[in-house]
Amino acid sequence: MACVVFDAKRCDAGAGRTRLKLVGENFPAVSNDIKMETLSFAVEADGLTRIYKRGGEEVRALDGVSFRVRDGEFVSIVGASGSGKTTLLNLLGCMDAADRGTLRLAGHEVGAINERARTRLRRDHIGFVFQHFGLMPTLTVHENVALPGLFGRRIWPSRHQKSLDARADELLERVSLAHRRNHRPHELSGGEMQRVAIARSLLNTPRLLLADEPTGDLDSATGESIIELLQELNRDGLTILVVTHNTALAAIAEHQISLRDGRLIQDSTDQML
Amino acid sequence: MIWLLSLREWQRRPLRMSISTLGVALAVAALWSLLAFGRGYRDGVQDELDHLGAHVLLAPKGCPYDATSLALHGASWPCYLKAAYLNQVRAVPGVAKAAPVLMNAFIDDSGAQTVYLGVDSNLLALKGGWHLSGRFPTFRGDLLLGADVARKNDWHIGQTVSLPGLNGARGTVSGILAPSQSADDGFIYTRLSDAQTWFQRRGELTHVLVRLRDPDQLDDVVAQLRSCGAGLEMNVVPLSHIFHSIEGLVNATRALLLCIVMVALLVAGAGVSNTLMIAVSERTREIGVMRALGAKHGEIFRVFWAQALQLCGVGAIAGVSIGWTAARETDAWLRAQLPYSPHNSMVHSDWPTTLACILGAMLLGTMAGGLPAWRASCLTPSVAMRARGERA
Repeated sequence: MACVVFDAKRCDAGAGRTRLKLVGENFPAVSNDIKMETLSFAVEADGLTRIYKRGGEEVRALDGVSFRVRDGEFVSIVGASGSGKTTLLNLLGCMDAADRGTLRLAGHEVGAINERARTRLRRDHIGFVFQHFGLMPTLTVHENVALPGLFGRRIWPSRHQKSLDARADELLERVSLAHRRNHRPHELSGGEMQRVAIARSLLNTPRLLLADEPTGDLDSATGESIIELLQELNRDGLTILVVTHNTALAAIAEHQISLRDGRLIQDSTDQML
Repeated sequence: MIWLLSLREWQRRPLRMSISTLGVALAVAALWSLLAFGRGYRDGVQDELDHLGAHVLLAPKGCPYDATSLALHGASWPCYLKAAYLNQVRAVPGVAKAAPVLMNAFIDDSGAQTVYLGVDSNLLALKGGWHLSGRFPTFRGDLLLGADVARKNDWHIGQTVSLPGLNGARGTVSGILAPSQSADDGFIYTRLSDAQTWFQRRGELTHVLVRLRDPDQLDDVVAQLRSCGAGLEMNVVPLSHIFHSIEGLVNATRALLLCIVMVALLVAGAGVSNTLMIAVSERTREIGVMRALGAKHGEIFRVFWAQALQLCGVGAIAGVSIGWTAARETDAWLRAQLPYSPHNSMVHSDWPTTLACILGAMLLGTMAGGLPAWRASCLTPSVAMRARGERA
């Protein structure tokens, strides 16, 4: 059934079939107000434009960017500083709103839903990995991983807490950091912190993982291990968009998007624009 | 978890958090002491006047407050009334009982005071709350001891004792009063005639305690007492008026102090607000991360609001504990400052006052935390993520 909505070539390729299965199992339709639709595209951006005003002057951080990302793709977004990568990531993460253009995430037109629904969409379907890890320094590794599960819940989530703890432990096992469960972030190495951040991003079984320079603060060896982990997650069916300067990371992406001065100059699926 | 996020801030900034909490604690301690003092003082004065058992005090001309204080606490009086006035007082309609008293006091080398009261059996009609063992002074040299006097001197009924301050004079303990937690516990009662002899004040009194048939007729009776023949020679002091005057004076002072305490609370609240503002500024990136992870505006608001409540809650509990622990010292200090203080403790520790202080501090926390929490909750994730400051 689900295969019908996925790209036929991918299903034929075999790897696509695996992805499809995992999407069906791990990322089921979530209720609340937003109904998940099983579509072939995780992201559909059409003419995205974001304009900032600096000192009375308009700066086009993004200018008419259009692209599509299929479910299960590994996408890299590359470009020089100031090219609009982070702005694009903010729009894709529902952390900012486009001035023009349309954006569909997980089948939902982001511009048509309100702030609360955007927050819910972000919480339930999007995972974030940041360059500086974004771990809460006062929480333990386990508490950091469990953190996203606490938002949007009741104040005293006693029943929910057990399953949340189990899920956080499971994810820590997956990133090989179960032994660091009760440590604080400052007791971890950079690579370990990024692994914790990745585990945290997976807590709500997102459909899309957005990573902003995930290897930017790491040495090359540690960066490679993070790249391997991201590849592993992608093989399991997770759609990943990575903003990066790391050529190794950009190279492994099957779909590359290049930006310059807020414009999309190359989309590997469409070749040069 | 929201509470946990707030609680963990104590680990990150222990000094800053402690200083803010200390500010709240000191303000709450001052508020608690002031409220506890107000209740304690009023109850103490009311209790003493009740123990006196009279509605009106007749004293020699002079300050009515001094006269009341002397009658309540016991002391040597500087001037005297003529015992002959008593008949005129008793003749006034509305006077149920008039109990004459001759009071005198001696202070020994160690500073201990012995207060003697010469009285007659009319006093018993005023002291309905007395429980005495033995008998009221009836025969020459009979003594009725206050509970503290008997205990301190280890005197018993039937024992003949030398009277402190009265060279060679001896008396026999005819009765002992049960403890009343009032000034009566420290007095030695004897027959009026014996006291007049010992103190060489024949035909004289220090004051007269008057009980009315109907307390509602107080103003009428006071007017008649003032207009009787002896009225010009004595001070007619309605004790309820004295009580209200003292209460009014104390309340005025309390109101002024309350204003100061309120300013202290506002300053403490501003301190809490400032601490949270700094925390919001420092944790802007963290706020951005939490928003990115799906935290709603309300949840971010609760993180910082909970922190304000924790600060003020802990401060309130610490403040009340300080106030409660230092109640005795506060009482002693107030006694040294006030011209008149009741025998009982003036700082009345009770749960309603404690609860009111804690609730007041929580209200302060709600207000102090409101603005920083609101500012934190209004940050958009993308802006918050770009902020400088501590890395989340």
